[in-house]
Amino acid sequence: MAAALQACDLVVDARIGDALVPVIRDLSFELQAGKILGLIGESGAGKSMVGRAVAQLLPQGFAITAGALFFEGKDLLKMPPAHRRFLLGRAIGFIPQAPLTALNPVLTIGAQFDEHLARLGCTSSRERRQSAVAMLEAARLPRPSDLLRCYPHQLSGGMCQRVLIAMAFASDPRLVIADEPTTALDVTLHAPIIRLIADMQRRHRTAVLFITHDLRLAAQICDDVIVMYAGRAVESGPARAVLSNPAHPYTRCLQLANPSMQGDCRALYVMPEQMPSLRQLAGMSGCHFAPRCPLAMEDCQRVAPPDQTIAPGRRAACLHVATTPSIAAKAPAAMAASAAARPVLALEGVHKRYIVRAGLLGTARIVTAVKNASFSIRENEFVALVGESGSGKSTIARLLVGLEQPDAGRILLNGEDVGSASARNHDLRTKSLQMVFQDPYSALNPRRRIASIVTQAMEAGSRHADWDQRLARTRDLLAEVGLPSDLATRFPHQLSGGQRQRINIARALCTLPTVLIADEIVSGLDVSIQAQLLNLLARLRAELGFAMLFISHDLSAVRFLCSRVLVMYRGEIVEEGPTETVFADPRHSHTRALVSSVPPDNPEAPWPAFDVAQPTV
Amino acid sequence: MIATVITLIARRLLAAIPILLIVSALLFCLLRTLPVDPAAMSLPPNATIAEIEAKRREMGLDRPLPEQYVIWLHGALHGDLGQSIQLRRPAGSLVTATLPATIQLAVAAMVIAGALGFGGGLLLFHLRGTMLEPVADLVSILLLSIPEFLWGLILLFVFGVLLRALPFTGEVAPGLPVPHISGFLLIDSLLIGHPDVFYSACRHLVLPATALGLAFSPTIMRVLRSSLFDVYHEEYIQQARLRGLSERQVLLGHALKNAALPTLTLAGVQFGILFSGTLLVEVIYSYPGMGNLMVDAVRNADLPLIQAIGLTYCIVVLLINTAVDSLYLVLNPKLRVR
Amino acid sequence: MKGPLAHSLRSPKVLIALSMIFCIATCAIFAGAVAPHEPGEQNLLAILTPPEWMPGGDPNYPLGTDSLGRCVLSRLIYGARTAMLVAFFASLGAMIIGSVLAHISGYFGGAVDWVIGRLVDIWMSFPPVILSLILMVGLGIGLGKVILAIILVDWTRFCRVLRSEVLVVTRHEYVAAARLLGFTHRQTIVREVLPATLPLLITLLSLEMAIAVVVEAILSFVGLGVSADQPAWGQMIADARQYVYQSPSNLLLPIAAICFTVMAFNLLGDGLRRSLDVRLMETGH
Repeated sequence: MAAALQACDLVVDARIGDALVPVIRDLSFELQAGKILGLIGESGAGKSMVGRAVAQLLPQGFAITAGALFFEGKDLLKMPPAHRRFLLGRAIGFIPQAPLTALNPVLTIGAQFDEHLARLGCTSSRERRQSAVAMLEAARLPRPSDLLRCYPHQLSGGMCQRVLIAMAFASDPRLVIADEPTTALDVTLHAPIIRLIADMQRRHRTAVLFITHDLRLAAQICDDVIVMYAGRAVESGPARAVLSNPAHPYTRCLQLANPSMQGDCRALYVMPEQMPSLRQLAGMSGCHFAPRCPLAMEDCQRVAPPDQTIAPGRRAACLHVATTPSIAAKAPAAMAASAAARPVLALEGVHKRYIVRAGLLGTARIVTAVKNASFSIRENEFVALVGESGSGKSTIARLLVGLEQPDAGRILLNGEDVGSASARNHDLRTKSLQMVFQDPYSALNPRRRIASIVTQAMEAGSRHADWDQRLARTRDLLAEVGLPSDLATRFPHQLSGGQRQRINIARALCTLPTVLIADEIVSGLDVSIQAQLLNLLARLRAELGFAMLFISHDLSAVRFLCSRVLVMYRGEIVEEGPTETVFADPRHSHTRALVSSVPPDNPEAPWPAFDVAQPTV
Repeated sequence: MIATVITLIARRLLAAIPILLIVSALLFCLLRTLPVDPAAMSLPPNATIAEIEAKRREMGLDRPLPEQYVIWLHGALHGDLGQSIQLRRPAGSLVTATLPATIQLAVAAMVIAGALGFGGGLLLFHLRGTMLEPVADLVSILLLSIPEFLWGLILLFVFGVLLRALPFTGEVAPGLPVPHISGFLLIDSLLIGHPDVFYSACRHLVLPATALGLAFSPTIMRVLRSSLFDVYHEEYIQQARLRGLSERQVLLGHALKNAALPTLTLAGVQFGILFSGTLLVEVIYSYPGMGNLMVDAVRNADLPLIQAIGLTYCIVVLLINTAVDSLYLVLNPKLRVR
Repeated sequence: MKGPLAHSLRSPKVLIALSMIFCIATCAIFAGAVAPHEPGEQNLLAILTPPEWMPGGDPNYPLGTDSLGRCVLSRLIYGARTAMLVAFFASLGAMIIGSVLAHISGYFGGAVDWVIGRLVDIWMSFPPVILSLILMVGLGIGLGKVILAIILVDWTRFCRVLRSEVLVVTRHEYVAAARLLGFTHRQTIVREVLPATLPLLITLLSLEMAIAVVVEAILSFVGLGVSADQPAWGQMIADARQYVYQSPSNLLLPIAAICFTVMAFNLLGDGLRRSLDVRLMETGH
């Protein structure tokens, strides 16, 4: 029997200026019916392009230029478009990355399901309704008949994703392509959604192409994996074998760059720089990973490594496979937080409510964002604030830096109450408190040069530093955050996401604050960039000595960086304690849910949250 | 759903009351501070100073301004908007006599503007990425640059003067009976069973309504196109394609309804302006509507009449805005909060 | 530095529009040198002569004469001066009032925003044509009065559109960051918010000039614009309307002049809007 999906030397090119740059180079794989194949890699590796190539819905300027893509033995690329379109939504289903935006906001769930089922050939509207209810029920959605009358915005992201999964499997497809189906969702939803996909896949005996950046997740769900880097498959083979014993240096580095949740807290392996952009890729020869590879030899720069079989069923594209296991991370950075240090920042019984007006009718609702929050941060201490989106973490950050004022309670900075919005309090805060913002794109003024951004504090208020002083300070700060000083004259849009986030940190450090508030500063970034930033923060703490409130939903990053953790749930701090204690023995049910949502490091170990036999909730 | 729409309309109308009060007060103050004496104007030119003074007292012009406003407001609430100085008839009845003709013109123009705007927007969107796109773009900017009164003159010149194809003065051919039942000539002519009057009224409506419609369609066109562009970048369009829907189904079933929302908001604003645009078109085509009355009142500084008509325009604009908002509420589920 | 404004000069639309505006502005500024006659100079022996190239045309009057025997070409050229003066000063005035209020409203939000928002609502419940007519009744006719009336009517246009843009910009984290670095509110608005709203402001300014030209023409057409001895395109149209059968060119020429001018400003606005599109710049694509 033919494979559900087979790629043969697939090449996808992008047009950059006048040149054609391969986004995917000579990709070959075989996905057998009823199996799950994982495509793993960081953003820009080209993994999403594979999914889009199946539907031939590539972004503008991208085109498939060579190779073949067989669906059950028929070449999708040579098929007439109408024929291919007939397969989409019938034999081939898609599960998208951002469920909230993947459903049409002005149509009810029922209308969208109905349209889909009508296309599948179900003529009776009563039958369509019944099967829609049955399918939503199978996707473990509560009260499916009510749900059909709902609009997407009335549903949570997790529910939307379940609806989309139900739709994708509605036609009993032979192939489903899931493109990062959990990335946009809260961590506690990852396991249930993955479990649902695995369940459906088993029930319908569907082949699934599972695209993800998460190695631990791939180890749990996939039968086979392909690791991609800069448009090439660098390693492939059975999931557990590849991930417990990587053959390619990139796979190994990626694993070591991911902070772990079990065992000793080890240092992160930091790959230098970042994946080459399309522009850089155009002029590259040899192994694409060579500039970042710790094992790169002289021949790696010249020769593009062939994709060779290294063991039965396993292939890797590296000239020096044998040396890969020698890659190891350096010794961990020391955690410095003496219990005797005095508190620099404290919250005492802080409340914050918002009046939310929704719709044209403007019905006002009071939403309590923060309820009776009390905690303190000591000198030189890194404290984590974890919780799901909407739990009130960001409100706490905004209260601390004075962008919002509390309705009740006190905010103490070095023992002084700075809660109200007076000019004096603003000055006090500016001196010792700074914030690193979440979104590296929105946080930097696109019209300022890097030097002007980094030393912006030197032109604030009545301060007027001259340009030479500012340039000198810029050089120091850029060196501090590990960036070359020639970036000083660039504009933010000329920098990568990781570089922007470093600028963001440098700007906050300009006035040498005693406390930093960091709001989800590593969440949107790739694993290797995240590792660079986490290591940078640990080093800066040792060098400069400041305290930090590290707001994150990523428990493994928290475990690496912070000695104490606060868990927030629906506006309240529900648990607090030393990181190791809280993670090893969580007391509150929400903390338990958070901790169990992280897949185990060891690919062979079971993941309790993803136990298919477990009864559904 | 119907309940939410009714709530919205009720709230909007309630909110309109303070706006109308402030607007009428502003209008009142503005017009009273003019160097024009309504008392002197309402008397024959040979009136004595004493007679004028007596008239001033009679009209309440000697009292303080706030008191005058309260008196006016009291009258207005009882349907008395004052007496037109020039025409010596109640301003209220002058407005009610001419308003239907203007509404008739505005509605016809809105239909034309909506149809042209919608069709043109789809055409512009359809031409995206083709050789014709820059041409179509330029044409739409040219159309955008011709205001309604120039369209009025151009159409009048081409179809009225040059081709002599359509009439261009008045509401109906002279000599035909003009019925007065509802005030809307198109309806009334059918009610009294005079198809010739109806036909003549239609022919008289073609040029002014087209001029107005042409002037307001390009904005709708361009907003629909850019809204469609925005919508096509959304994830659900891609997802609809991945479910195997054809481009036609994607456009009609998914994109258009979403793109209609911002277009509708803009069209609402446009229709408010279009209603006031009838003024110039009426002047050009000597169409017996409220606009012509307004221009006459303005030329003669007929203050009570200006006040009455100005307020009427405000009320109509507020009503149009309320109607558009309700329609928006019906089409946009996100605003229907439980 | 290659600023967005310099970049926009490479857009063909902007270039075409600027050269059109340059032509009109040259006529307006050097009207005395360009025009063959004084605009008010009457020649009762040559009334309603057709343009030079038509049978019966007079080479002395290249575009013919009007009902009082005044040179149409000269009146068109002097009319450009009136139109450009109104376009420039009225849109500048409306921009200043509207954008100051918009920045205050959008940046501070809360009660200030509410008050300014209601003010705009009340203003906008008056259709612009009606409001400007009523204002002209109050102010009396004249060039300065026309400019003032347009400013008083059209500041809301800037205020409403810019306010929503200010809201978008203010939501950017870099604006909050500036505050945290010790910027005062005034510094934050001037150094962080204003540079981001400037492209839209310039675009709106250009579109407002087009609107001002139309409004001036409308007011002059109705007879409530500039004073009668000042040539204006709207007046010329109103005059020519009476003699449309005898001399259609007198009607069509000022119409063409208005369309040309309005098109130039609209084209400039559209070209600027696209080439200054900040959102494209910020994401780095």
